[in-house]
Amino acid sequence: MNGKLEEKEGEPNGPIIDRRPIVTCAGEFELFSHIEDNLLQALPKDVSEWKRSLGRPIRNVHIGAKFMAFSTQALPKPGQWDLIRQPLFHIYWTDCTDVDVYKNVVREDIENWIKELTSREIPDWLIVVVENYDGKRTKQLIPRTTVLDKIRVDFALKQGDRCISVINPGKAENKTADSWRGLVARIRHLLLVAYARAVTRLEDHVRQQREKRNDPNWNFMEYFVLQEELAQVLEMLGLNDEALVQYDELDALFSQFVANFTSCDNLKWLTQFQRPLERWHGLKLGPIVLPPSPSLLELRAYIFSKQAQMLLLTNKVWEMASRCLPFLHVCIRELSILEITAPSGAVWCWLFLASMEVLQICDKFNQADQVEEYSRQTASLWEYASQKLRSLGELCGLMPQGEPTSEQLHIIVNLSAGMGDNPGLPNHPSPTDKLKEALCSQDAFIKTYLELAELAMGTYKHVGRIRMARLVGQEVASFYLLLGETQKAAAFLGDALRTFENDGWQELAAQIQINLAECHKRAKDTVKYVKACAYVSAALDVDTLIRWTYFDEMNKYLSKLERPLDVPFNDIIKINTVHFTSDQTVMQGAKIEVDLVIESNFPKEVLCTFVGISLEMEEKQKHNEKYHAGKTLTKKDLKFQDPYLQRLKIKEKLEYKQDKQLATSRISSSFTLQRKDSSPPNLRANLDMCLEAENLPVSVTPGVNILKLSKRAEVIGKYYTGAAVIHVNQLHLVQLIPRLTVEVRLEQPSIRLYKRAAPLLLGIEQVMNLILTIGSYLIEPKSKIKLNASQGLKLQVNPSAPLESYVEIEVGEKPTFCSAKIPLRIFADLFSKDQQVTITVPWDHKPILVQLNFSPPVSTTWRLSTVNHRKFVQVNIVGQCERDLLMQDPLLKIKDIPVKPNIVDYDLVVCNGSGYSFLWEMVRVPEDTATAKAEFSIKYKLRLDDSFKTYHYYFDINDLKTLYILDAIVEPAKGSEFCRVGVVCHLHLSISYVGPNDNTDMDARSIMYEVLAEQSIWAVCGRTAGVVCFTGHSGAEGSLQQVVLDVMPLASGFLPLPLVRISKYIPAESVVPDKPSKGDTHPRLEPFSPGQVYNRSKSKQLHVIAGTSENQ
Amino acid sequence: MAVCAAIVGKDNSPKFFCCVNPDEELNFQYKVLSSLDIIEEKLSPGIKPNTEMYLGILYSLENWKIYGYVTNTKIKFIIVVDSSNLTLRDNEIRSMFRKIHAEYADMVSNPFYIPGEPITSKTFTCSIKNIITGTV
Repeated sequence: MNGKLEEKEGEPNGPIIDRRPIVTCAGEFELFSHIEDNLLQALPKDVSEWKRSLGRPIRNVHIGAKFMAFSTQALPKPGQWDLIRQPLFHIYWTDCTDVDVYKNVVREDIENWIKELTSREIPDWLIVVVENYDGKRTKQLIPRTTVLDKIRVDFALKQGDRCISVINPGKAENKTADSWRGLVARIRHLLLVAYARAVTRLEDHVRQQREKRNDPNWNFMEYFVLQEELAQVLEMLGLNDEALVQYDELDALFSQFVANFTSCDNLKWLTQFQRPLERWHGLKLGPIVLPPSPSLLELRAYIFSKQAQMLLLTNKVWEMASRCLPFLHVCIRELSILEITAPSGAVWCWLFLASMEVLQICDKFNQADQVEEYSRQTASLWEYASQKLRSLGELCGLMPQGEPTSEQLHIIVNLSAGMGDNPGLPNHPSPTDKLKEALCSQDAFIKTYLELAELAMGTYKHVGRIRMARLVGQEVASFYLLLGETQKAAAFLGDALRTFENDGWQELAAQIQINLAECHKRAKDTVKYVKACAYVSAALDVDTLIRWTYFDEMNKYLSKLERPLDVPFNDIIKINTVHFTSDQTVMQGAKIEVDLVIESNFPKEVLCTFVGISLEMEEKQKHNEKYHAGKTLTKKDLKFQDPYLQRLKIKEKLEYKQDKQLATSRISSSFTLQRKDSSPPNLRANLDMCLEAENLPVSVTPGVNILKLSKRAEVIGKYYTGAAVIHVNQLHLVQLIPRLTVEVRLEQPSIRLYKRAAPLLLGIEQVMNLILTIGSYLIEPKSKIKLNASQGLKLQVNPSAPLESYVEIEVGEKPTFCSAKIPLRIFADLFSKDQQVTITVPWDHKPILVQLNFSPPVSTTWRLSTVNHRKFVQVNIVGQCERDLLMQDPLLKIKDIPVKPNIVDYDLVVCNGSGYSFLWEMVRVPEDTATAKAEFSIKYKLRLDDSFKTYHYYFDINDLKTLYILDAIVEPAKGSEFCRVGVVCHLHLSISYVGPNDNTDMDARSIMYEVLAEQSIWAVCGRTAGVVCFTGHSGAEGSLQQVVLDVMPLASGFLPLPLVRISKYIPAESVVPDKPSKGDTHPRLEPFSPGQVYNRSKSKQLHVIAGTSENQ
Repeated sequence: MAVCAAIVGKDNSPKFFCCVNPDEELNFQYKVLSSLDIIEEKLSPGIKPNTEMYLGILYSLENWKIYGYVTNTKIKFIIVVDSSNLTLRDNEIRSMFRKIHAEYADMVSNPFYIPGEPITSKTFTCSIKNIITGTV
């Protein structure tokens, strides 16, 4: 062991072993002493590259040195391994400038010096010639041989870099700086080369020693010192990370030895650690000296402290913290492997002190990023420290509700003594101070423990390790419980419970509930105690006996409760399904029925005083509530589902460019992060309207129970299920369930008026059906339905009472959903076909209007027939009534015109669909009558015993006067006797005007005739139509126009003559520019009324004989 | 070998728990539960995605070491090992996890098992026990 420790002031890391290489100085020592200080400072100022063998990377290092006078005795012998501690590099200083002096004196001196070195195979030397700056000399044209040249020639012919001249830096001048810098760089380089060689030698030696580790006489401590030296060298060079590697190797090597202790025989040296533990001084991270023959803990602490130093030097606080806990665990394990005995609590003390020391060091590094980095590690360290302190507290009787016995006091004294003294600053007590204080009094202990535990929890929470924080909280809760602070304990337990339940760790949650129950019991909080008891008794993971105990407790305390206690279901009773057995739409008055399947987790049977599901009226849908379609809720629906674990609804979106090419495609999801509702749901279920179990009280056995709930639907509306409620005595279990919809509907009563199959007829009493349907509710039996008929319509319900235009019907006792048919007699007079009945019902203020359409009993048509100037009116009637009508006395009256009946049969029976025709001749038609008003009447009755009623039919006859008489004759062409098929005949058409000779537009009486021959019979040759003009009065010249047309029969036999139609011809108006013409630029045709034209040739026939053979 | 194995679902609730010594189960439950914190840390999106399912050691206590493994469907396997057992190599832990994963995959393939429910199968318990005690 080197053993040479030097206190170096000003070094922040305190005393470190000086591993700077030793440099000897020979020659003019006086001269050197002038520049020693400068050199000492200049050397480590700059980095130089350290090239190493074995492919290790080049590192930039700072190398320092310490100087001593050259002495032959101090020189290392060849082959020595610990060169590092020996003079490594040798410099000869001279300021001889005179060549002659050199030759006489200095040369020999140098020769001797070199001889000494080479005899020891030391290649690392340098000769420095110090010159004084001489401005003149540089100006010399021919440089003379200098001392330097001489030396070079004499000693370093092949190693030019071993000789250097320097201008005396003592006399500071600008020009000296260059040469000075050159000197420093040269020394640095050569020194490093020498040092590197020494390090390699040391490394080799360390390796060799390690190889011998299985030798029986091998001693770890000796090896430890050796390798540590290497570490120190690296540290000196500023290679802290590589120094750490050396310590880590030592750490691992030692761990390996201990692990193999029981299985290997040649680890005898480990027995030196097996002595009982006497000291448990706290770990110190800082300047530390390994005591001679250290205990296991001391050795471990030393290694860890060194590692920590290296880590702190490389600014890895977090790694230092992270290594602490494994280190402590290793120590405990090794203590047990080596079977090192220690007074009880001593190791805990040591562990506590060690973790506190690391935590205190961490506290010094309080940059935010550093804190962030090491918090994860320190959190568990805080927890560990608090655990150890608690163990100590238990050991020493410092726990609340305790008093240290004299034995325990003795332990405390012993423990404190073993810790040693490590006084910190007054406001920064060292861990040892803290522990001693905590062990001194119970109050201090409690304070310290809670402080540590709070820090542990806080740090865990800070780094997001909630579960770990909760576990610490659980510990703290048990401590508070001992302190009697039940409220604080309950708070911590509650937090833990929530976390465990969130994660679904039911067994742990149940344990917490047991703790909570104890806590509440001690706090005499009956309400919460009952709650906790209920949970524990329903926790399946808990032992049955315990559950029974808590169940009994619950029952015992339930009866003491003053007010009912609302408790969420949680897992006390699980709802398996809620199923509507009735339809989702229920008629008013019907029963809404629900099957509720529950699983009771109570260990024994419970008697439920109430079981129900509340129903809530439809309100505006709250978007955060779950609405559920269908009529069943299953376990899956009832289970809370974490929105973060649900499948995302992802939609694909494609966007196209204008040319229909795909521009972008993306997927989108409308997942909105929602804050979880932190306020507990309102558990006060409104039980005004709820589905209730049928026969209360119900006893619910452990396991699955099916309960039938029902409710009579009274008020219509849409209802949602709100909460399920089960009352066990004063314990009211409440759970909100997803919303199921049930709708209560009302069916209105209705009234309808139906006619029977046949059409309604005027003037005949008929029966209609009034159908009254009672809906989902009863109608007051005394209330009345009022029927109000329009004018001309009469009604009656009573078969014997006279018909009225206003009828009232009493509803009468009628059950719901029944319908009744009331026959309604109805009679409409002949005058108006469209009638309506207004029905006023008691259940609706809006009257109901029923439109009725009546048709007459017979349908009537008429036509006017003309024979020259004689006019005949024909009236046809067709029966419309289902039954036969008896008719009498047809009568036609025409105003101002007498008529002559041609009727013989006076008693008629008119069947449905059959008709009669009556004919009257107008005896005299006055000249000036354009329109005649006619009235047809006939008496009728339905049954023989009825009295006759008169049916009237009114019509107007227009254009009575005959204006034209038309005659057509077909004659064979001249020379023929008969009309033959295929031979052209002449159609002689004569039209004569016979109209009145009044003077109105006499000139404009143009007529257009058209021959409308049937094309299969007649072929009209030439023109088929023409216009003729009448100029004269009737009977006068010009009132007769004759036209001859050529027609050809196409068939033989008696052929009807071609039909000729005449129409009024209105020529196109002569264009008068001033008059606005209404499209009359074309001639128009206007048909004549049937009475205006008499066609004499109508229905005349012509015998056409077959054509001659040659014509065929 | 291991003293306890647990399977935790994607919602962090326990699906299966198996201890060599059943009396210690509750104790181990606390440890496994707290190790979920560290699994969550390791799986948090900020950290670069780890393609390997084996998470390595989650944390160590005086007597126990806790290892984790997460499937692609976020089912977590957790093994608790006695830390005095120095002969247990990392590779053995890995292979233990792989075997548990294989068993679990078989288990989930069972049509009578509802995914997400706690596993109660006796054969499964038996085979997991064999895996952790190293008798397979």
